[in-house]
Amino acid sequence: MSTNNNQAERVIGTLQERAKELSCLFRIEEILQDSNQELSHLFESLIQVIPLGWQHTEICQVKIVFQGDEFKSSNYKPTEWILTANLIVNDELVGSLEVSYTEERPMEDEGPFLKEERKLINTLGERIGQFINYQQLRQIYKEVESRKAESHTDSKIVVDLLYHTDPKLYMRIARRLLNYLYKNGVSESQKILQKFIPASYSKIADSDTGDNIPLSHQGEPDIMDLSQEIYNIAYSYTNDQKLLNHLQRWIQEDRANLVIKTLNDPRATLDDIADQLRRFKQIAEKENLELSEPIQRTIIVQLIRALMSSRMGFIHRSKNYLSLEDFHNLFAAIISPTASRGRLGGKGSGMFVASKLLEKQVKTNKELGQIRTPKTYYVTTDGVYNFICYNDLEHVFEQKYKDIEQIRMEYPQLVDIFKNSKFPPDIVDKVSAALDDLADTPLIVRSSSLLEDQLGTAFSGKYRSVFLGNQGTKQERLHALLDAIAEVYASTFAPDPIEYRKERDLLDFNEEMGVMISEVVGERVGDYFLPSFAGVIFSNNEFRWSPRIKREDGLVRLTPGLGTRAVDRLADDYPILVSPGQPDLRVNVTQDEVVRYSPNKLDVINLKTNTFETIDLVDFIKNHGHEFSATDQLISLLRDDRLQQMSLLDLDFEGAHPVATFDKLLNNNKFIPQVRAILATLNDGFGIPVDIEFAVKNDEFYLLQCRPQSYGKARRPAPIPKDVPEEDIIFSANRYITNGHAADIAYIVYVDPERYSQIESKDTLLEVGKVVSKLNTILPKRQFILMGPGRWGSRGDVKLGVSITYSDINNTAMLIEVARKKGNYIPDLSFGTHFFQDLVESEIHYLPLYPDNQDVKFNKRFLNTPRSILHKLLPEYEYLDHVIKVIDVADESRGRVLQVYMNSELDEAIAVLAPPATKVDDSGVQKDFQLKSVSDEHWRWRHRMVEGLARSLDPDKFGVKGLYVFGSTNNGNAGPGSDIDLLVHYDGTGEHEKDLMQWLDGWSGCLDEINYSKTGYRSGGLLDIHLITDDDIRKKRWDASKIGAITDPATELPLTREEAAKEDSE
Amino acid sequence: MSTTAFNAFEMAQAQFDKAAEILNFDSGTRELLRNPLREYHFSIPVHMDDGSVQVFRGFRVQYNDARGPCKGGIRFHPAETIDTVRALAMWMTWKTAVVDIPLGGSKGGVICDPHNLSQRELEQIARGWIRQVAKNVGPITDVPAPDVMTSPQIMLWMLDEYETITGAKYPGVITGKPVGMGGSLGRTEATGYGLIYTVREALKELGIRSDETTASVQGFGNVAQYAIQLYNQLGGTVISVSYWDQKDNTTYVVRKNDGINVKELLGITDRFGGVDGNKAKDLGYEILPGEAWISQEVDILLPCALENQVTGENVEQIHSGVKLIGEGANGPTTPEADQVIQKRSIYMVPDFLANAGGVTCSYFEQVQNSMNYYWPKDEVLGKLDIKMTAAFLAVNELAKKRKLYMRDAAFVIAVNRVAQACKDRGWV
Repeated sequence: MSTNNNQAERVIGTLQERAKELSCLFRIEEILQDSNQELSHLFESLIQVIPLGWQHTEICQVKIVFQGDEFKSSNYKPTEWILTANLIVNDELVGSLEVSYTEERPMEDEGPFLKEERKLINTLGERIGQFINYQQLRQIYKEVESRKAESHTDSKIVVDLLYHTDPKLYMRIARRLLNYLYKNGVSESQKILQKFIPASYSKIADSDTGDNIPLSHQGEPDIMDLSQEIYNIAYSYTNDQKLLNHLQRWIQEDRANLVIKTLNDPRATLDDIADQLRRFKQIAEKENLELSEPIQRTIIVQLIRALMSSRMGFIHRSKNYLSLEDFHNLFAAIISPTASRGRLGGKGSGMFVASKLLEKQVKTNKELGQIRTPKTYYVTTDGVYNFICYNDLEHVFEQKYKDIEQIRMEYPQLVDIFKNSKFPPDIVDKVSAALDDLADTPLIVRSSSLLEDQLGTAFSGKYRSVFLGNQGTKQERLHALLDAIAEVYASTFAPDPIEYRKERDLLDFNEEMGVMISEVVGERVGDYFLPSFAGVIFSNNEFRWSPRIKREDGLVRLTPGLGTRAVDRLADDYPILVSPGQPDLRVNVTQDEVVRYSPNKLDVINLKTNTFETIDLVDFIKNHGHEFSATDQLISLLRDDRLQQMSLLDLDFEGAHPVATFDKLLNNNKFIPQVRAILATLNDGFGIPVDIEFAVKNDEFYLLQCRPQSYGKARRPAPIPKDVPEEDIIFSANRYITNGHAADIAYIVYVDPERYSQIESKDTLLEVGKVVSKLNTILPKRQFILMGPGRWGSRGDVKLGVSITYSDINNTAMLIEVARKKGNYIPDLSFGTHFFQDLVESEIHYLPLYPDNQDVKFNKRFLNTPRSILHKLLPEYEYLDHVIKVIDVADESRGRVLQVYMNSELDEAIAVLAPPATKVDDSGVQKDFQLKSVSDEHWRWRHRMVEGLARSLDPDKFGVKGLYVFGSTNNGNAGPGSDIDLLVHYDGTGEHEKDLMQWLDGWSGCLDEINYSKTGYRSGGLLDIHLITDDDIRKKRWDASKIGAITDPATELPLTREEAAKEDSE
Repeated sequence: MSTTAFNAFEMAQAQFDKAAEILNFDSGTRELLRNPLREYHFSIPVHMDDGSVQVFRGFRVQYNDARGPCKGGIRFHPAETIDTVRALAMWMTWKTAVVDIPLGGSKGGVICDPHNLSQRELEQIARGWIRQVAKNVGPITDVPAPDVMTSPQIMLWMLDEYETITGAKYPGVITGKPVGMGGSLGRTEATGYGLIYTVREALKELGIRSDETTASVQGFGNVAQYAIQLYNQLGGTVISVSYWDQKDNTTYVVRKNDGINVKELLGITDRFGGVDGNKAKDLGYEILPGEAWISQEVDILLPCALENQVTGENVEQIHSGVKLIGEGANGPTTPEADQVIQKRSIYMVPDFLANAGGVTCSYFEQVQNSMNYYWPKDEVLGKLDIKMTAAFLAVNELAKKRKLYMRDAAFVIAVNRVAQACKDRGWV
């Protein structure tokens, strides 16, 4: 009972104190209302009232000190129980407020004072400071008014105002004014400058060389005075209006300093920066402020560094295309943990900068058309760390140092753990707000990690992207969205990216994962949601289906529906490939090819089931073609064996088969020029080749992603060896060849296509992929090649290609895909996919084989050796011995190795058993190796050269009567390896002959070298000389019979004789 | 320059020599028919898209026109050789002769790879080709048609160029045109129907009622689909069809012992003739391995897919009940298999004759062009029936009289008709 009473008393006591404090505050406010009263009068009143707010009013006394003057309670006596607050006006200490007790009282929070009393005194101090400030300003205003009346100049008024209101700014502006005056040659200004830093200044003025010693700097002069002096000089030298303009600009620009200061502060969080920027923008808008170029640059560069990347290359590339406005908008779309210092991540930054660059160029470049970006929110990169810590998951950080097999094993669990973890409430709130803005349009959640912006490491498709139907209640949608973010976070620790990082020495980097939440570009068609079409664009075409296509002609992969089918490797589908530089040179030419190798499925979001789905194109077009806005752009109809663009009269599909040819789109003279313009703009803007993902909806082009294109080194064509004994050839190929030489291969891993196709169980098929993955870690790096059926690492039926990912094959020197029988396999599909980009980046050679074609070799016996060593390497997989052959090349070939030569100029490749390569120049890698166009036909240049040879041959010196060319060079069917048949009609001495042969030998060698650089063929000498005499011609001996023959006659080459030359000159 | 490679022309000549031996031709006739009457070799300069000029080699071989204007396709191929063109021109000569249509044989080509050419450049080659031979081709001299890598579009460019040069409309200068641009109705059906017309006559010859027969078909493409359709109309029952499975990269057979329903199957077939196996199972079909088509217990085998399908290895699997083979495909039977078939006295309707429906329809196209009047589809197919039946009867007659294998009889009759025309004209 008594405790209860005590408690009640205490509560009542506390409340009474609060009431006292409040009534004190009210009374003080009342006093402060009267703004006309003298300060001294005010202080007197305050001293009366303030004690009322304190617990022990009866012994409370007050002292106010203002600019040296003291105002005290009557009977004031110094004591030791004091509470003090400063009076601050304009950031300057102008005095103090002091409350004290004259007698000792029981100890409370701060001495005898309550903590509420501390708060109260601080509040009072602040309020009094504000009042003083207000009074002062009023005073200044009055003065200004009065001076106006005295016809002072405008600039003077401004300076006065400055002087009174913001002395620091007053001084800063004075410094700028001084520099300005000095620059304009006002001599007095120089004197003042010297006063600031006399010694060093004169030194600089004398000689500009400057020793490498710091400039000395003497004690600060009274800057206030100096400033006054500077302004005075300015009044006398500068036109008032001009000075006023400058002052105004400088004052405005000075505001930006705060932003810069925040940006430079390493402790500043994203929220701080956003605040500063917002405040600055408000001021700027209100005052119509325009910043000078260098200040803008400074701020933008700092913002890029804070939000995107501190890599010099990136900053350099981006800074010209971004404005403060862009950043202002960007901040509105950022979702970051409290006190975040994270960034957008590579993908986010890349897309943002590229879209701004394009936006800026759109005005001047009509072909670019309208370029849009989907509405996007960015979760900053430190979100993942925040998430991990919030859920006590720190152990995942060690994941990357584990064995790759272990990582692979543990990964599914890790995903589960992440998906079952909670997000910190502030992130949930922010994501929820973003979701309100995005509403219920389908979303894609994509990774945007710090490492993703590195040049040369594109991380193509390494991290997760998740499509969300985003249908249902807000709660369901939010849950799904957070789930997707967790999934993307988990992929930071997936085996594939970790292996990829390990290979590039990026493992120790503290990878952070940003997330982009974007609207999916698309329209609703039936229950489906999809864009008209989507795809990827590359600056460099790493796969040329025709020798006429150049690397810089670029590559576009197009697919109807979502672009996932363009970036993934597909087992049984065919995106449309176009080279924007040569859009008319298509992969598929005949109608049968066009029909057979056209896209037959599309990826969509099913809004009804809220899932990502792959649907059949023909069904879709037949059922929804009339609602789908792009039908006529993409679809041609196959009717009566004839493929034609759809016409407006094709209202139904009765008796016609829809085929996605993209014919109308590619011929509309709009899309391809637009792609070209985009590539050119981004290439020029960034100075590097790029890789873009995009989607198009109703003719609107949406940029989805932009990053530097991963690249391999340019490879030179390898010379194709000739006259190799049949039994030493393991395989040859003549379609879709890229350049290169896979040297000194010691092991071949061969998955027998027939036996693979006979495997019934899906698990066993997957086992094959696992064995390949294991072999990848056992066999020596880059000394083995993988050969097997179908498209490896593709999405879809595992029967159509061994199921692997990049990390399962990253050590191979070469990937060879074997297409057996006629049918559905066409290799180029993989070109441009993430998978292929990985191969290019890692410089893994790629080659498709068509062993059933008549004109190629395929040494089945060698590959199906009974001496496969798989059971020795992986005894547990012995049961797959008949499917997977691991061939020790040296064992099988008496100590030799396999050399694979590839020459795209000739469209030829061959793998031969040979001794290890010793020649250095076959290493196959040469930078900037530019191939001459092959349209320079083989016979044409040969013919030109022998004409030149004939012109420079001195017939008298060598005893030559006539020179003829015959054979392939003459009749125009010379191939890359053809020699040049020359018939020399000769009637000289033995001495002549020796000289002649020596002379021709020189030519022969040179021509061979030219041919080598053009084709990779080397024969030791290109000329085949046939010497004939008068007698031979008379008797029509074989060689001589070519002269004047009816079929394939030799052509005489005009020789330059001295007489002829003379005649010519006359 | 090497002579070791396979030479199609030498092979065609050897085949001819065999027939000439049987027919006991004199040396003049042999010499004349062993070689083309005329060859045109020319250059086609083309301004490429990049501004350079490339020169392409073009050919036209008019092998023999004793029986009428030459007829033959144009091939665009990077590995084209004059000998291939000669051989194909020779075969065209025999082919028009065997169905007894008043045409000779020719072939043409350009050495080029359309995969390395833009549409504009292709058009230039097509127009350039016709410019070079405009004086030497035409509806009453030599009629080109599409062939390897030459589309109906290329034909239309050529037609347009020809008509521009001559200043008149000559739709009959080229065949294989789309319907509405001078093409003939019934072309899609022609080869499949032609096959069954000959099979029907062969059954009559064997004294079998067609509505009491069963058949197994290899392939489910254009030829097979129409062949099955017409065969069903005659009352025949197809119990099995093989098809190519895109996904599994192999062939399968669908079988239903009381007869497949072609309409039903077409409903679950993709545009390449691939049947959806799962759906077929649902419809009550059995799915067997691809080789099974040959071993079915049927009366008739119709290989309508690729060449070299009936080989020395699998010919023994042909069921003892099989009485007739109709070759819808080109060269489905290898010589070793032929010997076995001949020994077992299975009646053979050889490809040469059995799939001549296509060329006959091209002839009809040209006939309609010169009248500038177009027949309805039924009329085209009716006339096709008459032609094919007559051709079959003549070959069958000869085979019986001279005790020849049908394949040899068809060839001999064709060669003889050409030789006779040369004689009648007093050439030899």
